[in-house]
Amino acid sequence: MKRRHFFSGAATAVAAASVGRAALAALPEIPQHGSADTAVPPSPPTGRPFRPVVTLNGWSLPWRMNAGVKEFHLVAEPVVREFAPGFVVNLWGYNGQSPGPTIEVVEGDRVRIFVTNRLPEHTSVHWHGQRLPNGMDGVSGLNQPAIPAGKTFVYEFTARRPGTFMYHPHADEMTQMAMGLMGLWITHPRLDAHGRHPLIAPADRDYAFLLNAFAVEAGTRTPRVNEMTDFNIWAWNSRVFPGIDPLVARRGERVRVRVGNLTMTNHPIHIHGHEFEVTGTDGGAVPPGARWPEVTTDIAVGQMRQIEFVADEPGDWAVHCHKSHHTMGAMGHDVPTMIGVDHRGLVAKIQKIVPDYMVMGERGMADMGAMEMPLPENTLPMMTGTGPYGPLEMGGMFSVLKVREHLAAGDWRDSGDYVQPPGTQAWEWRGAAADLPPAPVAPTAPAASTASRAGAATVRKPGPGGTGHAH
Amino acid sequence: MNAPRSATLCALTACLLLAGCASVSPDGLRGQVQALADGRTAGVAAPALPSSDPTARQQADAAVAQWLAQPLQADAAVRIALWRNPGLQARLAALGVADAQRVQALTLPNPTLTLGRFRSGHEREIERTLGLGLIDLVTLPWRTRWQGQQMEQATLDAAQDVVRLAFDTRRAWLRAVAAEQVAATQERMHEAADAGAELARRMARVGNWSRLQQAREQALWTDSAAQLARARLAAATEREQLSRLMGLWGADAHYTLPDRLPDLPVEPEASEGIEARALRERLDVRAARLELDRVANTEGFAGVAPWAGDIGLAYTRNTTTEQDTGHADVKRGWEVELAVPLFDWGGAARSQARGRTLQSAAQLQDVALRARAEARTAWLGYRTAYDLARQQRDAVVPLRRFISEETTLRYNGMLASVWQMLAEARASSQAVADALQAQRDFWLAEADLQRALAGTSGNSSSGIASAALPGAAAGRAANPEPQGH
Ligand SMILES: [Cu+2]
Repeated sequence: MKRRHFFSGAATAVAAASVGRAALAALPEIPQHGSADTAVPPSPPTGRPFRPVVTLNGWSLPWRMNAGVKEFHLVAEPVVREFAPGFVVNLWGYNGQSPGPTIEVVEGDRVRIFVTNRLPEHTSVHWHGQRLPNGMDGVSGLNQPAIPAGKTFVYEFTARRPGTFMYHPHADEMTQMAMGLMGLWITHPRLDAHGRHPLIAPADRDYAFLLNAFAVEAGTRTPRVNEMTDFNIWAWNSRVFPGIDPLVARRGERVRVRVGNLTMTNHPIHIHGHEFEVTGTDGGAVPPGARWPEVTTDIAVGQMRQIEFVADEPGDWAVHCHKSHHTMGAMGHDVPTMIGVDHRGLVAKIQKIVPDYMVMGERGMADMGAMEMPLPENTLPMMTGTGPYGPLEMGGMFSVLKVREHLAAGDWRDSGDYVQPPGTQAWEWRGAAADLPPAPVAPTAPAASTASRAGAATVRKPGPGGTGHAH
Repeated sequence: MNAPRSATLCALTACLLLAGCASVSPDGLRGQVQALADGRTAGVAAPALPSSDPTARQQADAAVAQWLAQPLQADAAVRIALWRNPGLQARLAALGVADAQRVQALTLPNPTLTLGRFRSGHEREIERTLGLGLIDLVTLPWRTRWQGQQMEQATLDAAQDVVRLAFDTRRAWLRAVAAEQVAATQERMHEAADAGAELARRMARVGNWSRLQQAREQALWTDSAAQLARARLAAATEREQLSRLMGLWGADAHYTLPDRLPDLPVEPEASEGIEARALRERLDVRAARLELDRVANTEGFAGVAPWAGDIGLAYTRNTTTEQDTGHADVKRGWEVELAVPLFDWGGAARSQARGRTLQSAAQLQDVALRARAEARTAWLGYRTAYDLARQQRDAVVPLRRFISEETTLRYNGMLASVWQMLAEARASSQAVADALQAQRDFWLAEADLQRALAGTSGNSSSGIASAALPGAAAGRAANPEPQGH
């Protein structure tokens, strides 16, 4: 997870699998990607030059030039995706992974995409946000017959508008998207003679990911495709924290982050330590006069947002969805609140019938981040991920922006934990209590003597050591 | 004068000899009952029957005390029941009474001596007659045989009661042990429900739960309390039943039971040859066969008895003395009294006896048929109980346990609540209780099978347990009484 593979490396293999070579003689080869690590693409070997994006825990699809046309080959197929170490899910994806590889082209490129369907049912591909001929829009039944299982269809159009786009099926899409069939499409701008674009600034670091959500019941490995609201796996590019790679930048670099939302709810994406501007949507680049500073941008369902900022504050900064349940792993949404409930005298009784029983939630949920308890198979803890100062108590849509003073331009590796300069970290007050400024009391607060009247919650405070579970 | 005298003596001697053959069994036929019941007492090898000998009784009491001092095993329970069950003791005593009655019936009546003194004119007449009813003597060989057969039959009946008591005790032991275990399981479940209800109360108190949610947990608690009460009652009742069968009361009844039933056998018994075995070994089949023999034997006698009637034999010696002269005249002679078969030639009695023979034959057939059917049914019940117990033990309990463990894992991950976990744990405990009962049912079915194969029908087994036993002699009202005396 920590090491990033380069595009030319071993992670990309040429598959000679089930579609017969003879049948595909005229087709581009089918690149496959075997791991969920981030693969940083090289500069484009053919076609117009561009600076590739880095797909978080993903990769970009190689192409071949054929008489001036950029040819790609997507294969829709069942895949097994590792969401985090030890947690794998059966999904549908493209070319070995879900989401599929990022397709990167340059404004004005003529693009031909071969789509081979190795799914058990028909499919199609809709090129979300693109200007293209109606018959290439990929809505099966409306624009084209669906691609039957085992067949290959060809889409061809010109990438007319620069921006951040997505591709996904528009045939049985509820099922197919619930199974993870989706990918990113980046159309890089065509630059003028000076290497500039009026609305799109060059970026030193260009990250892209899709927001996706799955309903994977604890102990299972295939999503429940009929779920509409009660998802429990909130992912970026079908990865969950701590399985999501960090976004690294050298101090002062211009960082672009492109986020697309293919879940069924909105996600307020929040970055710590910096302000950013939304410089583009799936409608295109935002005119500079329309941009305003943000630290959170809400990405509605089916939308894309392209945000940019200068990474000028060194440190490890959280980047996450601000819906707090979306930074959790699998959890029971109907588990009652146990905070403040006195368990004294009951644990031994319960242990008589459930020997492994331990009290949880009595003081809050943070125990989950610290305790290592056996869980159902193929299930991540609700909270997980550990930093230099302990459990992060996070899972799901969470990553870290790592801004460092010194970082080579092409260095995308995780730069490790940030060490704060002395005196720049919150510290424990060790002085006398009397020296503390008095805590102000709200004028309507009840007097201290009535605070424990019947019906009022009395939270039992954790004792020293904080492991008071064996009552 | 010598010849008749010696003849008389001979006849008397013969009578005495015949009568002397029938002597009372010193142990009241207990040894025979025990021999018949051997191998049929619920898997217990050679249990002893209560003895009338004080030394043996003391030894038995010591052994009982020793068995009661440790967790009571099934074998010991059966042995104690055979020693101490008052019903069985009454039954065996009655058998001894019947034996004595038999001997008495075979004893010849004393001869009658008639003395007369008459005066007529000058004569004084003294008459001495020694009379003997010959019918008893004539029928003695028949009667000896019938009485013997009847005692054999009574012994067989008693042995069947021994067998029933042994199996009833084993069954009661199984039920008592299982009931105690089930109660223990229910107790654990109730404690968990108790914890759940208390936790719910505390949840509601601090405002995390509504009264409704609390009430649902409270309802589970009341359910489990009721279940526990029933389980405890069942355990006490089953134990009482066992104590009663073992004839224990007071301090003796404070024994402890083992905390587990015997394991299921690895392989169940095969069904081959079970009907033949039942026909060969069952005591009731044997009794029915004996009955048929006995009734068939009475046929010959039944034809003779009516006209043979009361044959009377008398020897008379009359002395007539002339008073004047003192001359005495002695008159001796034999007198035989015979019925004249003018009206009853014994035909009705013969057909009655024939009818009884047919009846007994049909009864034998009926008993054999029942033995076969019971053997088959018992085996089917045994096999089904085995399969159910295996399934409960090897499939249901591990499944429930797995579900409970998985729910605990989900609780660990805060995917499930403590109440869901408790509910599954309760279901798991219930499966254990069900498995205990299935295991018990198997052993009960096994006892039924063994009894059906080697012992007798279980139909009248309640008779012995109720201690209200009819006398052994009165137990065979359907048998024809030997006629003619
Ligand atoms: Cu979110």
